[in-house]
Amino acid sequence: MIVVQIGRLAEQLGVHRNTIRNWIRSGKLPARSVPGKRYLIKEEEFHKLCHAFGLDPDTIEVRRVPMKNDEGRESKELEGPLAELGPRTGLFRESPQWADVCLTCGSCASACPISAVDGMDPRKVVRMAVLGLEKELLESDWVWKCTLCGKCEEACPMNVEIVSLVRAVRGRKPRDLVPGALQRGVQTFLQTGNNLGIPREDFVALCLDLADELVEEGWSGFQVPLDVKGARLLVTVNSKEPFADPDDMKFLWKILYAARESWTLPTENWEGLNWGYFTGDDEVMKAMVANLVDNMYRLQCRTLLLPL
Amino acid sequence: MQRWFKEDLKNFQVISIFDLLMGYLKEGRLQLDRSLRPETTTFHDSCHYGRRSLKAFGRGYFEEGRWIIRQCCADVVEMYPNREGNYCCGAGGGVWSLPFHEERVFHGRFKARQIRNCGAKRVVVSCHNCRDQLKKSLCKEYDLDVDVVYLWELLAESLVMPGRRIRGVSV
Repeated sequence: MIVVQIGRLAEQLGVHRNTIRNWIRSGKLPARSVPGKRYLIKEEEFHKLCHAFGLDPDTIEVRRVPMKNDEGRESKELEGPLAELGPRTGLFRESPQWADVCLTCGSCASACPISAVDGMDPRKVVRMAVLGLEKELLESDWVWKCTLCGKCEEACPMNVEIVSLVRAVRGRKPRDLVPGALQRGVQTFLQTGNNLGIPREDFVALCLDLADELVEEGWSGFQVPLDVKGARLLVTVNSKEPFADPDDMKFLWKILYAARESWTLPTENWEGLNWGYFTGDDEVMKAMVANLVDNMYRLQCRTLLLPL
Repeated sequence: MQRWFKEDLKNFQVISIFDLLMGYLKEGRLQLDRSLRPETTTFHDSCHYGRRSLKAFGRGYFEEGRWIIRQCCADVVEMYPNREGNYCCGAGGGVWSLPFHEERVFHGRFKARQIRNCGAKRVVVSCHNCRDQLKKSLCKEYDLDVDVVYLWELLAESLVMPGRRIRGVSV
């Protein structure tokens, strides 16, 4: 096949551009329009045209493209199919709502407060998952800089579950490569029941001290209800409070006391902060929730206050 | 909980801090004194109690926190955008415990601007992460002159101590 441009061909043949357009329109010159205001003409038609104008086709400069059925020119058969069709597979393609429906509109990237950090944004994360760039995703720190805030999902017109995807990527990171202290906290939780490894006796002593302080502050008769069976409400503690800001535990206790609530605090497995959520580790998450469920049964409570 | 312990949920009830505190106030179990906290106050929507909870459980806690604050404070203002459009503090999802300090502060620039623009003297939060980020990081990094308090901290501060129902008692 020969690629022609109308203006160029008109010059070569010495006719007006419109003449050629008329030939094509009337079918006198069989030609197929292709992108870029160009036409494809068969070799033999081109030869006929040249002879009609007394020109040697070999002296006219033209561009040729190989075609499968272009007789007279050799075309190499491609070996094997170009692409395998069928269900695609990939680490982060487990759930179709995540990525397949993405329109690549970029609304998520516009909404994300850390778009462009490390040259990444939520849209790229989704595209990388779809395209199978798993290694690159796993090596990226960006999924750990994301706060899972969900502004991207709020902006997404197709409800792509971008946050779940980011968590899934975090969860696939080899555990020894999880950045910072998170994995150490998870490990400590699995061993001791709280993320910071606070021993039971220290926790109990701290609770009793805080209760004494409350009494001194005028909350007369305040007692901290540790492991009280049959209490209505089970309360948990975020381990950073006994660790760093123990006085902050008193706020809620004052309220519970003032409301004359029947409540209790377990002395084992009282951790309320689920770092399994952060590290993308559902097994750890489940273990932590299981602790709360066990405490509910052990202390025969009727209501669980979701960890603050 | 719903995913792994569905059966157990038949045996007990699960409530959030908002449900607990609103319940006490509606049942009249707490005496509050609104004169104790006269400062202009605003509420920071935590991503997880709001937007994320709405998506995961079909219910976002947006209005509950605001209602509780109005029981404690007369002067309440809003940050914009808020509720499901609210900006993250910048430290959620474990980022507070991760070593990416610069990115965390960079993320918080929107929140810092919102706080400054709304003119509040106190920001009320319902999440440990948000509180630490706002109080210990953003206030310093962006020179914000605000107090950051937990929702239950505000309520505890506004309590009239049981047995002593004199106005103006400090707790």
